[in-house]
Amino acid sequence: MTDAPATIADASASRSKGSLLEKDARTKKRNAAETRFKAYGIIAIGIGLAFLAALVFSIVRNGVPAFTQTYVTVPITLEAETLDPEGNRDPADISGVMTFAYSPLIQQGLQSALEEADVETDMSASDLTKMLSSSAENTVRQRVVSNPDLIGETEEFRLLASSRVDGYLKGRVERADLERDRNLDAAHLDIVDQLQEAGVVSRTFNMDFILGTDASDNRPEQAGIGASMLGSFFMMLVVLALALPIGVAASIYLEEFAPKNKFTDLIEVNISNLAAVPSIVFGILGLAAFIQFAGLPQSAPLVGGLVLTLMTLPTIIISTRASLKSVPPSIRDAALGVGASPMQAVFHHVLPLAAPGILTGTIIGLAQALGETAPLLLIGMVGFIASNYPEGVASGFLDPNSAMPAQIYEWAKRADPAFYERAWGGIIILLVFLLSMNLLAIILRRRFERRW
Amino acid sequence: MNQETAVRNDRDTTSHLPNNQIKVSARKVQVYYGDTHAIKDVDVDIEDRNVTAFIGPSGCGKSTFLRCINRMNDTIPIARVEGQILIDDEDIYDKRIDPVQLRAKVGMVFQKPNPFPKSIYDNVAYGPKIHGLAKNKSELNDIVEKSLRRAALWNEVKDRLQLPGTGLSGGQQQRLCIARAIATEPEILLMDEPCSALDPIATDQVEELIRELKGNYSVVIVTHSMQQAHRVSQKTAFFHLGNLVEYDDTETIFKNPKDERTESYITGRIG
Repeated sequence: MTDAPATIADASASRSKGSLLEKDARTKKRNAAETRFKAYGIIAIGIGLAFLAALVFSIVRNGVPAFTQTYVTVPITLEAETLDPEGNRDPADISGVMTFAYSPLIQQGLQSALEEADVETDMSASDLTKMLSSSAENTVRQRVVSNPDLIGETEEFRLLASSRVDGYLKGRVERADLERDRNLDAAHLDIVDQLQEAGVVSRTFNMDFILGTDASDNRPEQAGIGASMLGSFFMMLVVLALALPIGVAASIYLEEFAPKNKFTDLIEVNISNLAAVPSIVFGILGLAAFIQFAGLPQSAPLVGGLVLTLMTLPTIIISTRASLKSVPPSIRDAALGVGASPMQAVFHHVLPLAAPGILTGTIIGLAQALGETAPLLLIGMVGFIASNYPEGVASGFLDPNSAMPAQIYEWAKRADPAFYERAWGGIIILLVFLLSMNLLAIILRRRFERRW
Repeated sequence: MNQETAVRNDRDTTSHLPNNQIKVSARKVQVYYGDTHAIKDVDVDIEDRNVTAFIGPSGCGKSTFLRCINRMNDTIPIARVEGQILIDDEDIYDKRIDPVQLRAKVGMVFQKPNPFPKSIYDNVAYGPKIHGLAKNKSELNDIVEKSLRRAALWNEVKDRLQLPGTGLSGGQQQRLCIARAIATEPEILLMDEPCSALDPIATDQVEELIRELKGNYSVVIVTHSMQQAHRVSQKTAFFHLGNLVEYDDTETIFKNPKDERTESYITGRIG
């Protein structure tokens, strides 16, 4: 009894934590660990950001030149005796005159342009035209065929400069590079310098790169991504029209109606597995099923769209199921409680609440499909095929075309460094599409997301 | 054994009240969740135009049994119901019964207020719309107004019927859910702890409402609050571990329980 107060005092003494102003060893250690962990996190983010910055920098630096193009303004006298020997301005006769007839006219035009700019040279006329793109004759011819009244006049033509000249103005081609070049030599570049001062050679924004078609191997200055953009567009239509309804219907059934048994478990596991299957596998499946078995046309955006649908479906199903799952069960109970049928409960209440999530998932799936290359290689949507615009909607689905990423891949593997520049430019366009789709997904989610 | 006496007692008491017909009659009801036997041999007769309270400790099966009466347990894949539940002498677990039609007759109010994330008007109008109770817009308006008035909510929301129902306070939301349930003109109203998420004032309003609803409906209420059961109900059933221990007039259950488990629960020794 007597020592009871002492025991209490001892207990309180041992319970004393000491001053709060001083950190004890344990706290110091814990704080140090926390600081270290934060530092690791910041370093990790820093490394990620550095990679991103390097990526963006290199894409912009390599890709932006593709958006400008060098043109040579040449006055060409369209001699009637060459272009319309009969003299009757008959369109059939005029289109009978092939491109090689235009070569001498262009040579003369170029020489007169040089004279006007006071450029003196002992280079031969045919040698001089190497500064122009080999598409020059065709450009002039097309304009004459479409407007025969020009014959006999002297017209100003803006002709594409050759890829070497273009590269020289963009700083890609140096004089030293031309020593081994069969087309152009340093003398040409001296002329280009003078012509540029005179305003004959100029570099302007290149709309043809964004809207144009692909060009053959030796005319990189003419190549554009427009036709393959249309190819991608038609593929995305197919993917949207098939993957969205099929994916949403499958998800609703699996999530809301399907009994839980071994069979549905198997389906679930397989959907998750399909999402992880490499896309090239879908490509070879598409080749076997759609082209070889079903006999659909090769290289067609329709087939590309079907293959990408297969690839996108798991993504859409998984995200749709996740957004259906996130609708609180109390909403279903409420609907069933007032006597709605399960289908009414889903369509009147669950689906509207899940819609923003479903839309976001679909857009992300589409964006993924838009950037996919590998399966397109296997169904032949790559190569020099996006050289014409589709004629109408049916042709858009069924005629051979490429898609943006496949076109980029095609350019990247061609030899001329001018194509390499186009590939980077194509990547910028592709990224703009992808980023705006992701932005749209974010906006839709923000706009329609409802809280309950 | 106790339960048999309870049932017999119950039959005795109903015979004293000839004007109260039996609306719901359950016999040997068993509910299994997978391997768990959640409800064992429940026999109960629920009267029309009266409030019946189900009380008991958590997990005793009172909510489970309540959800059998409108077959909400069908939505739980692993739940299995055996036995017989008759509403107006029709077995609701008969193969020919469509649970959707049944739920139009047996309305339900849930523990947590769960208005649809739609306007107040649409919340109430939804049931009548899907059951085709209104021929035109003005009839629908009448149903909505009448239901909201009976749920004692009309005066508070009549100026903002187009605002979302989720923007109301907890008590208002629960009364909105009650309005939604009675808008389909059910004959039986099941309430699963309707006041557990509400403050005392809102609880008071809902209880007042339940007393009024009694005139038209057979109301079955599950509650954790014995005071609430005492205040609103005429008959009380005490559930324990899946058994219906005792079922009698509320006064008898609270003043003079026959089973010692009931007495222990009422006096706060178990539960």
